[in-house]
Amino acid sequence: MVTKAIGVTVNGKGHELALPPKTPLLNVLRNDLELNGPKFGCGLGECGACTVLIDGVAARACTIPLAGVEGRHVTTLEGLGSEGAPDIVQRAFIEAQGAQCGYCLNGMIMMVKALLLRRPDAGVEEIKRELRYNLCRCGTHLEILESALLAATRLRQHG
Amino acid sequence: MDEARLTRASLLAESSLLAVVGADCSDPPNLADQATSLFLTVHGDGSVQAFNGHVDLGTGIRTALAQIVAEELDVAFERVSMILGHGGLGPDQGATIASETIQITALPLRRAAAQARRYLLELAAVELKVAPENLHVNDGTVSCDDGSNRFVGYGELLGNRHHLLRLTDDVALKPVEQHRVIGRSQPRVDIPAKATGSFTYVHDMRLPGMLHGRVVRPPYAGIDAGDFVGRSLIAIDEGSIAHVPGIVKLVRIGDFIGIVAEREEQAAEAAAALQVTWKPVPSLPDMDDLAGTLRANPSTPRLLEDKGDTPKALAEAARRHRRTYLWPYHLHGSIGPSCSLADWQPGGLRVWSGTQNPQVLRRDLATLMGLHEGQVEILRLEAAGCFGRNCADDVGADAALLSRAVGRPVRVQLTREQEHAWEPKGAAQLMEVEGGQDAEGGVTAYDFSVYYPSNGAPLLAAILTGAVSSTPTVLQMGDRTAIPPYDYANRHIVCHDMPPIVRAAWLRGVSSLPNSFAHESFIDEMAFEAGVDPIEYRLRYLHDPRAIDLVKATAERAGWTPRTSWGSAGSEGDILRGRGFAYALYVHSKFPGYGAAWSAWVADVEVNRKTGEVAVTKVTVGQDSGQMINPAGVKQQIHGNVVQSIGRVMKEEVSFTEKAVATKDWGDYPIITFPELPLVNVLMVDRQSEPPLGVGESAAVPSAAAIANAIYDATGVRFREVPFTPERIRKGLGIPEPLPAPSAEPARGRRSRGRLLGYAVAAAAAGIGLLSNFTPWRSAIEPVARPLPGVYSDATIERGRQLAAIGDCAVCHTADGGLPLAGGRRLETPFGTIVTTNITPDPDHGIGNWSYPAFVRAMREGIHRDGRHLYPAFPYGAYAKTSDADLSALYAFLMAQEPVAASPPETRLAFPFSLRPLLAGWNALFHDAATFKSNPEKSALWNRGAYLVEGLGHCSACHSPRNRLGAEVKGPDHLSGGTVEGWDAPALTALSLAPVPWTEAELFTYLRTGFSPLHGPAAGPMAPVIASLRDVSDDDLRAMAHYLADLRATRTSEAEAAEQAASLEARASTSMPPSLSQGARIYEGACAVCHAADGPTLWGSRPSLALNSNLQAARPDNLLRVILGGIDTPAYAELGYMPSFAAAFDDEQVAQLLSYLRSRFAPDQPAWTDLARRAGEVREILRHERLTRADGGS
Repeated sequence: MVTKAIGVTVNGKGHELALPPKTPLLNVLRNDLELNGPKFGCGLGECGACTVLIDGVAARACTIPLAGVEGRHVTTLEGLGSEGAPDIVQRAFIEAQGAQCGYCLNGMIMMVKALLLRRPDAGVEEIKRELRYNLCRCGTHLEILESALLAATRLRQHG
Repeated sequence: MDEARLTRASLLAESSLLAVVGADCSDPPNLADQATSLFLTVHGDGSVQAFNGHVDLGTGIRTALAQIVAEELDVAFERVSMILGHGGLGPDQGATIASETIQITALPLRRAAAQARRYLLELAAVELKVAPENLHVNDGTVSCDDGSNRFVGYGELLGNRHHLLRLTDDVALKPVEQHRVIGRSQPRVDIPAKATGSFTYVHDMRLPGMLHGRVVRPPYAGIDAGDFVGRSLIAIDEGSIAHVPGIVKLVRIGDFIGIVAEREEQAAEAAAALQVTWKPVPSLPDMDDLAGTLRANPSTPRLLEDKGDTPKALAEAARRHRRTYLWPYHLHGSIGPSCSLADWQPGGLRVWSGTQNPQVLRRDLATLMGLHEGQVEILRLEAAGCFGRNCADDVGADAALLSRAVGRPVRVQLTREQEHAWEPKGAAQLMEVEGGQDAEGGVTAYDFSVYYPSNGAPLLAAILTGAVSSTPTVLQMGDRTAIPPYDYANRHIVCHDMPPIVRAAWLRGVSSLPNSFAHESFIDEMAFEAGVDPIEYRLRYLHDPRAIDLVKATAERAGWTPRTSWGSAGSEGDILRGRGFAYALYVHSKFPGYGAAWSAWVADVEVNRKTGEVAVTKVTVGQDSGQMINPAGVKQQIHGNVVQSIGRVMKEEVSFTEKAVATKDWGDYPIITFPELPLVNVLMVDRQSEPPLGVGESAAVPSAAAIANAIYDATGVRFREVPFTPERIRKGLGIPEPLPAPSAEPARGRRSRGRLLGYAVAAAAAGIGLLSNFTPWRSAIEPVARPLPGVYSDATIERGRQLAAIGDCAVCHTADGGLPLAGGRRLETPFGTIVTTNITPDPDHGIGNWSYPAFVRAMREGIHRDGRHLYPAFPYGAYAKTSDADLSALYAFLMAQEPVAASPPETRLAFPFSLRPLLAGWNALFHDAATFKSNPEKSALWNRGAYLVEGLGHCSACHSPRNRLGAEVKGPDHLSGGTVEGWDAPALTALSLAPVPWTEAELFTYLRTGFSPLHGPAAGPMAPVIASLRDVSDDDLRAMAHYLADLRATRTSEAEAAEQAASLEARASTSMPPSLSQGARIYEGACAVCHAADGPTLWGSRPSLALNSNLQAARPDNLLRVILGGIDTPAYAELGYMPSFAAAFDDEQVAQLLSYLRSRFAPDQPAWTDLARRAGEVREILRHERLTRADGGS
């Protein structure tokens, strides 16, 4: 196997990773870059717990190899904001208590972030459609929806 | 929140400390004693740590417990941090089950906080020289009531010493009117860290030098009882993972197999590749006849209640009703597969775990590892919500065994498939009722029996390794809420205790949810029989005043209107509306147990009378939770229970093969999604002066009956089996099946590989007769020195590069992960495996010593420089058409590449194909070495396209059928579709099965980007071809598209094509709602996220299945290859990737999925038949291809 360094920008920082091109992006983010936001849920793209942004678009990191993001910008939950300075979407989820166990929370926030980047005026039906394939087992859907709507409202108010 | 790193030593080292310790510890208490458990500590800086034996399973008890402590200790909420389930320091309060934390295990903690406050006030009284009753406390600061400005903080009061208090029960708690923290909604303390990625779940725990482990489970998926369990492994082929780098150790103990590797994906790859031989797995009882299987499972009847004389009352009843209610197996379904980290040291074992039973796990691990309990330390970290006993404990044992085997810390995470298949299921349950009614319709007798096949699910590794017997124990847990809340005069209640049939343990609501389904369905039915409103009827038998209040309040909130017959809610078109009620007091724990919160539901549903789909549109839920510590948390739990239980009742059911659990992914096991959410109206009864009650499960308990009663109200039909899937509703309503039944005709389609080979052998032998006419041996062309750099101009080399791209030279002459053009790729042909050669300009291993004439001879005649015949897998038949100028440029390009001094393995075909001279005859029959002749009647563009498509592009090599000797068929069948490496290469002519005709523009887009919005992406062997075309100019691709579009008899305009596509999409989107069948549900759960037209915006393409020709093909092979093999090398990364579903779906599930896809997206085509068999064959072919690739030393 020929391994050449693969260049990728994660949360604004450039990395050269000498790993096999088929290494799952999720493993690279979690194990090599120690970014714990994205979670392993199914490995099949079915649940969305691993969602990150690739060049601003939501992506299932468990099904994408490192080679797929060569030369691209990857954003993880950590890249949006921190506990001290959360991003507008993170803040909305904290305020509206959009989590129970929180394992799916990464995916919910990243999907909402990607949607609002694209469509800041998204309404409730559009949010439901966008989150349809992100699974939550705790049944926190009502709070998650409320969080997403709060984020959208804030975004409209404050840009 | 660094609770995992807190130790006894760190506490002992503190200079100032107050600790409230367990009442059972030594007198006087000794903090250094390992047996001294802690409830509460106050520190010199005024901070407070509070301990509880229970853990937070994601429900927010960490926040509520801290509120209790802050209230009773009189400190600000922010000062309190909770240490939960700390095996070494906190109290052992058993497993976190039965919604007990707030109701039961918080009580000593609450007293501890009050006791600490009392003690600190006594200290302050001495310090400030006033009586304790003349002091007051505000956030840990004690002040005098005398108006003086004298105060002292809790931390200061401690001085430089340790104060140890044994927990007493004589301390008064604060009266409710003084509460300022309890009863106020408090935001959860964990969410900010969880929302920003800084929270440490057990999945995120890492240690220096940590390795990664994966386990390989036996084929008896989800079965942990029986003689064969732990005794089925025959052999492991260690060579099957020899190609995987980074493997540290393969561990086998009995039927336990684990692999430890340096990196996680290495362990995962090895676990997937490991070849293991197992003994045959015995059959399960008939899981399709669940009721029969439960009745037949050996059981011991246990009388729970015998009130009055039920047999007599039944005998005398005016009407008798026998009813059977059935509950399926459910998953806990944690979103994160269980994970654990273990660190084995000579002195003992530390395990980081997401367990709900740290104390039990500690004991179990000690037994498994042959340690004393004191040598095992469990560090509990949060995990994905579990709702009961999932695989969290099991994976801790897996990690422990692997860490011991390698002497380093090992992290193990289960796969989704393993978590689904092996988690101890929420058990199936059978409830049988015989009831009697008197002439007025009153219930006079209630004879109830429940069958519940579940136990505590012993640690899996202990059973697989043989450390613990695989003879199942029987737990008495089917009795939860088995006594109905209705005071019928004669009641006979029996629980049939029985061992599990498949691995099972408690799941939210345990046996209460099914038992209440039966109680509440039955009384509802009796009410309508009696012609009485079902709520009024219930109230006749309900004597618990809090229950009565709740029922009335919930009915009022919902605007309940009394009804005595079904259908009162009306209908609109095909939609029938209905409304149903149910009530339950969740009675749990060892029989007779005790109640948690009371709960009542009014459910509104809409039933589609044609499709059988049921939508729960609104739930009004009332709950009496006693004193609510954190009302926001209570509401969140009510919401969660309502939403989760609707999914369980409407959709969820574990499926089985004849031998094991079949459910391995979310496709086979759909849970509720956002578009299915009902409106939820929550009523929380104000009972703040009552004791607090558990709220973690209660609101789920009335769910099934409320919905079933609402469906009855809509349809007049009683449904007594969960889940209420469209199939079940259609059956109940007598609606004919809308899906066409799969045809029973035998498989049509292609000949098998074996027969093809037979034809080929015969034909090759025939070819030998022709040898005399042609020279089978050709002369070598003398080697030459490689042309010096500079001989060819940069422009020529650049033109050669583009030509090489059109010719796909690098596609075949580059191994997976190998150096470009260095050869080594294995091409599967009907005649055997051909290994491509090194065509870099290395003189010894490549073509560095080939003269230009030797190169031209190879390209036009298929002869190696040394005179050998090349196999026609090398498409010299097409390449021959290339002009001299282009061949010269191509030669220039190849000679300018970096030489690679390595030879791939030689091609060794079996006899007779090993005889290369036979190819002389083959060439005589089939080969035309003439160059391309342009067609003067056609345009220059057409001719350029034809030259490239038929020449260097060699499209026909894959897209034309071949005869028995492997030669392309010419004439009208030219480019009418072929096969390559097991893939169907579609017809490029009018015979194309593409649902929308290819236009020139779409062809260009496809060749340029690898994706046509009206057709789909390039996959399989076409993906690298597209990638190779990256270097080809737009002009040349346009020419190719122009020529290819002309192969069709009629041209379609762009507008017509777009219109056709839109109408096909519309037809597919409306033809079959996604919940109609198991295949439909698999599509919805596994495929739709990336393929549904209205799916979310995700990185990568969104290929439409309605427009994809693979759905239309005569045989399903391309689709099977994509589903089972995935797409890991798209033409361009931005097209996206597709995972392999081989581990998630068995052949039967693949068949269900493909039947559905075919009927939905290619309704005009005949159904595919024999799909499960073909899925198995393709699965085996793919496995073989993977092994071959691995052998190739890529």
